[in-house]
Amino acid sequence: MKIEALGVEHFYGHEKVLNGVDIEILSGSFTAIIGESGSGKTTLLSILSTLLQPTRGSVRYDEKILQEFGDIDLFRRHNIGFVFQFHYLISYLTLRENVALAALDTTRIDPLLAELGIEKLGGRYSDEVSGGERQRAAIARALINRPSVVFADEPTGNLDTKNALGVYELFKRFASEGTGFVVASHDKKIADYADIIIEMEDGIVKQIHQ
Amino acid sequence: MITPLKALRKNRFKTALIFISMSVSIAAIFLISAISGGVVSMYSAMLKTDGDIIVTQKGIADTFFSDINNSLSAEIRKIAGVKKSSALILGAAPVDKLPIVAIYGVSDNRYDSYTLASGRYPKADEVMLGSKIFETLKQPKTIVLSKKEFAVSGVFKSRIGFEDGGVVMNLSDAGTLFHKSASIFLVSLKDLGNSEEIVGKINALNTDIEAKTTESFIDSYNQFKIIQTSSDVIGAMAFLMGILGIVSMMSMVVNDRKGEFGIMRSIGLSSRVIIFKLLSETLIIALVAYGVALGASFGILELIEHADKFQGYINGEISAVLMINVFIVSVTMALVGTFLPALYASRIDPMSLIQRGGA
Repeated sequence: MKIEALGVEHFYGHEKVLNGVDIEILSGSFTAIIGESGSGKTTLLSILSTLLQPTRGSVRYDEKILQEFGDIDLFRRHNIGFVFQFHYLISYLTLRENVALAALDTTRIDPLLAELGIEKLGGRYSDEVSGGERQRAAIARALINRPSVVFADEPTGNLDTKNALGVYELFKRFASEGTGFVVASHDKKIADYADIIIEMEDGIVKQIHQ
Repeated sequence: MITPLKALRKNRFKTALIFISMSVSIAAIFLISAISGGVVSMYSAMLKTDGDIIVTQKGIADTFFSDINNSLSAEIRKIAGVKKSSALILGAAPVDKLPIVAIYGVSDNRYDSYTLASGRYPKADEVMLGSKIFETLKQPKTIVLSKKEFAVSGVFKSRIGFEDGGVVMNLSDAGTLFHKSASIFLVSLKDLGNSEEIVGKINALNTDIEAKTTESFIDSYNQFKIIQTSSDVIGAMAFLMGILGIVSMMSMVVNDRKGEFGIMRSIGLSSRVIIFKLLSETLIIALVAYGVALGASFGILELIEHADKFQGYINGEISAVLMINVFIVSVTMALVGTFLPALYASRIDPMSLIQRGGA
């Protein structure tokens, strides 16, 4: 899948947070959006991932605008995965049940948990595992429906260095298998793993490093 | 099924509050309907004993105020197709320590409708007591009624609370007490098919009386309408209070679980799935609350029925029809009360997950 942002502008009230962003993201690539707080990276991520409508400009998915897909929820469920800074696992469900909540095909859950190294923790609740394990479960939930692209907002913000690097390695591995990753972060270490780095400053794309 | 149960267990405090609110509302609906239904059905059953046709004073709102001439009973008996016509005086008066007791003055031909438990039917200056009042008054030999002493000639048993907690005396003594010769006539027929024709003939006897078939009398009896309307209004209030309780509690639940619903929206679960999830949670609570309220209502009605204070006059009836109706009301209450908070939950913007914490 090719995702394009064309002349995207966004306002929060009178404050302009994105000022004409044009970028292109492809499945199978690991794209990092980096920048200081307030640079507009999270807003751009939200717009690219269908969670937020841009004030001006458009986002196209394989040349189509979102409205052409009809049911946005269904489009999101089939094509897009999310990983947030906080794991946002539902606390009364086990890790496996959290993944199952999103799953279109539940037979994929156990192999995916095994691939992420948390197969033995499937029956545990989020407060019974470590921060890194929680984030792996959240990644499993994002990947369960083989989405074209996974959007992650500061996914390592609450992790120590070892676990953070583990998450980047996972993204890199799954990107090489065809899933696109778009990660907003101000962690400079992400540059060692990303294929493309989009540097944001004051609502504009300052630079794109390939 | 497992997911809603887990969600309810996780939010057990608010679940308990919703459960209590629903149980109280459902029990209130059960009790008010059962008690009012019981009053109507007890009084109806009493009138139906030997009564295919009821004759009262014309235009009277309450049988207690009805005053008709007992001599008409003999004329009614002469009408072809009439099997029996018995006279009844209905009154209420203090008896010993009890502030108000139902008093029935009955014609001799009506005694056989009372099942004697001990003693015999009353003669002049005697009374027969229902078993409930007999026990409440500690098995008295005599009672004082309107400053006059009456000997207790016997005790009868009746499944009708108004009778079992009442005093039966002969028509003449009751007439002296209440200054009338009869309140109503209960007319039984040889063939029910002729009832409308005989009603017409009775009405033609005297312009001061009004005859109706028992069924039509019960349908049009003002007191029953008042009781039924009051019960419906109180039941509706309990229903509304139940809905308001659910709406307010579910709104708090949805607010607490904003993060959870945001996640569901972000992973592409449709609004319908989220609404269904919340509705299924309250439906589970409603089913349990219904069961508990039903059990509690049976218990409370049993206590009321046997409480001396109520003299057996309050006999609630929970019929199968009432159970089905209240079940439908309970499910409706849960669905209506949850719908708006669920709709709100289904529209939570997943962006809130990025902007604030929380599952």
